[in-house]
Amino acid sequence: MVGSHKGSLLANVVDFGMRLRQRGLLVTPGEGIDSLRALRSVDIADRREFYLALRTVMTSRLEDIPIFDEVFFDFWPRLFADDPWDEGADQLALPASSTASDDAAGEGGDSVNEEVEAGGPQDDDTAEEQEVAGYSADELMSGKDFSAFRADELEEMIRITLRMARKMATRLSRRMEQTRHGHVIDRRRTMRRNLKYGGDVIELAHKQRKIKKTKLVLLCDVSGSMDVYSRFLLQFIYALQSNFARTESFVFSTQLSRVTDYFRNQDIYDALDTISKEVLDWSGGTRIGQSLETFNDEWAGSLLDQRTVVIVLSDGWDTGDAELLDVQMSELQRRSARVIWLNPLMSNRGYQPLCRGMRTALPYIEVFAPAHNLNSLMDLEQHLIA
Amino acid sequence: MNEGVRRILEQMERNGYITDSEIATAVYLAMELRKPLLIEGQAGVGKTEIAKVLSSMLDVDLIRLQCYEGLDVNTALYEWNYPKQMLRIKMEEHDRRSVAEKEHEIFSEDFLLKRPLLEAITRQDKAPVLLIDEVDRADEEFEAFLLEVLSDFQVSIPEIGTVKATHVPYVVLTSNRTRELSDALRRRCLFFWIDYPSFEKEVRVVKAKVPGVNDALADQICMFMQGVRSVRLIKTPGVAETLDWGMALVSLHRDHLDEENVRDTLVAFLKDNRDVQKMSGKRLDVLLSAVSGDGRPPGDIIPALRQQLTALEV
Repeated sequence: MVGSHKGSLLANVVDFGMRLRQRGLLVTPGEGIDSLRALRSVDIADRREFYLALRTVMTSRLEDIPIFDEVFFDFWPRLFADDPWDEGADQLALPASSTASDDAAGEGGDSVNEEVEAGGPQDDDTAEEQEVAGYSADELMSGKDFSAFRADELEEMIRITLRMARKMATRLSRRMEQTRHGHVIDRRRTMRRNLKYGGDVIELAHKQRKIKKTKLVLLCDVSGSMDVYSRFLLQFIYALQSNFARTESFVFSTQLSRVTDYFRNQDIYDALDTISKEVLDWSGGTRIGQSLETFNDEWAGSLLDQRTVVIVLSDGWDTGDAELLDVQMSELQRRSARVIWLNPLMSNRGYQPLCRGMRTALPYIEVFAPAHNLNSLMDLEQHLIA
Repeated sequence: MNEGVRRILEQMERNGYITDSEIATAVYLAMELRKPLLIEGQAGVGKTEIAKVLSSMLDVDLIRLQCYEGLDVNTALYEWNYPKQMLRIKMEEHDRRSVAEKEHEIFSEDFLLKRPLLEAITRQDKAPVLLIDEVDRADEEFEAFLLEVLSDFQVSIPEIGTVKATHVPYVVLTSNRTRELSDALRRRCLFFWIDYPSFEKEVRVVKAKVPGVNDALADQICMFMQGVRSVRLIKTPGVAETLDWGMALVSLHRDHLDEENVRDTLVAFLKDNRDVQKMSGKRLDVLLSAVSGDGRPPGDIIPALRQQLTALEV
């Protein structure tokens, strides 16, 4: 660790960095050093610049910003005691928890300078190795049925889902893409092309490799009967979506909405919020047939091909037209590589797909699997390689 | 405000990039710390533009690497100029030099085709700006390779040896978040998120970039766009679309927004037919009545407009 003079700006910045790290931000001692260099470069008596400099260095993604703000305003409260961006920046007490705060404020520039040198450039590799603790907790959580979660476990759950889905997506994209190691020469075409040079090989013809890539389309049921599960499934979809580029997401109940962009451009909480506001009949009835018809009419043309895996997440309780569902499922199967149906009810021992919707859809489904806890969702991986 | 940040702000504006202190601070820090700057944000908010203005500001070259699925190291770094090598071999067929000598010659820098990354680290005069555009589109394996280059600013070419950067370039990466980037790459970079601009900033952009636009029309266009962005669309229009629309209106000599003018030019900022349909009807009426102006300042109109449009979503 960087040498800590008690109450110095360096110690405070390092301490601040550690708190951000505990909250999951990508902060290592390297960022601590960069932060001090950044603070040395800006006018730290300008509170806004102080904030911006630390934010630029210590955050790495959009989702980090609200967490950063929370920790920042909590950690340096005296800096922003009144209105956060009140321009009349008077005497600054820097930093809040410091005993020698006057010192730091008075000679901010100089002391930063010294401390950067005193701290020295640290090798951040050692810190990068340390994983944030809590793995056994992950294991406990990932086997638990979604319906058994308490409200206060949700945040933890979201964190674990995001992490697990991220690992899964990384493995997936490696397996789904044919790797290309340099150019491969097409001998036949090369010979032909170079005949005009009297047989000397001047131009090379390369083989055009076809890139085989799987795409995913996720259709998640958010109707009343799925209420307990849909929030978890949406988290999973969010995580998959943000880690696996070729994913399109939709939710449906009595009608279908595309949610890909809500997931792409917002953090998980805002995305869930938007979806619950946006989607008509959230937790209402289910018309799977109509929803699939909308998908097939409006989206299938541009999204589906023989490398697209369609995943439906639903319990199959359908209050719509069974005949329509039959037609639309067959259409879906015909136009995609395969249809996977994940059903949270399948975890119940002795579950039989007896409800009408499920019975109708079953003949068109290639993989029928449970989706009641995180482990079952992660098992999905094996079915996705087209 | 720090002198350096202020200078950047002024220079960016002078080079035609309407900006604010947040962006200027990020750019300034990237230059001071000499770390790559990762810029994320929605499409059409001017991410790429930052790299361009940085290069004109510093009066250095901009080297751009556009990422796409399947981009490989050969396209990004270097290739041997094979036809040139072949011709040289033919020419020197009867030369008495040893094979080793000849080999040494045709695998020298003269026969190297530099691609953007190599180009960026071998500039002799001064450090260029290297723009790695839409890095989220490149494959993960390429990202890993990129990380290596951005860490050491050196590459090894088996036939020549290690090439070390003469000047470390200013690096700007942009991403549209179609895929999550690796932690390692993110950690290597400073991070900045560009949001849609405020009304005031957008008006400034329109006035600067759309020749011949009058003040009232610029206000109307931007008020309209601020509203449009609270409608849930498949493709939410960015600043680029605002400018396209402004140009369209000006070149059709329409100097204000009314139903006919908007309908005729809607396609300039809505790029999906479903969005066009969604925008007609009630939503268009709400927007038009808001921008037609009842004397209230935009600061009052816009929040109310957004509220009205959000209410229509449910």
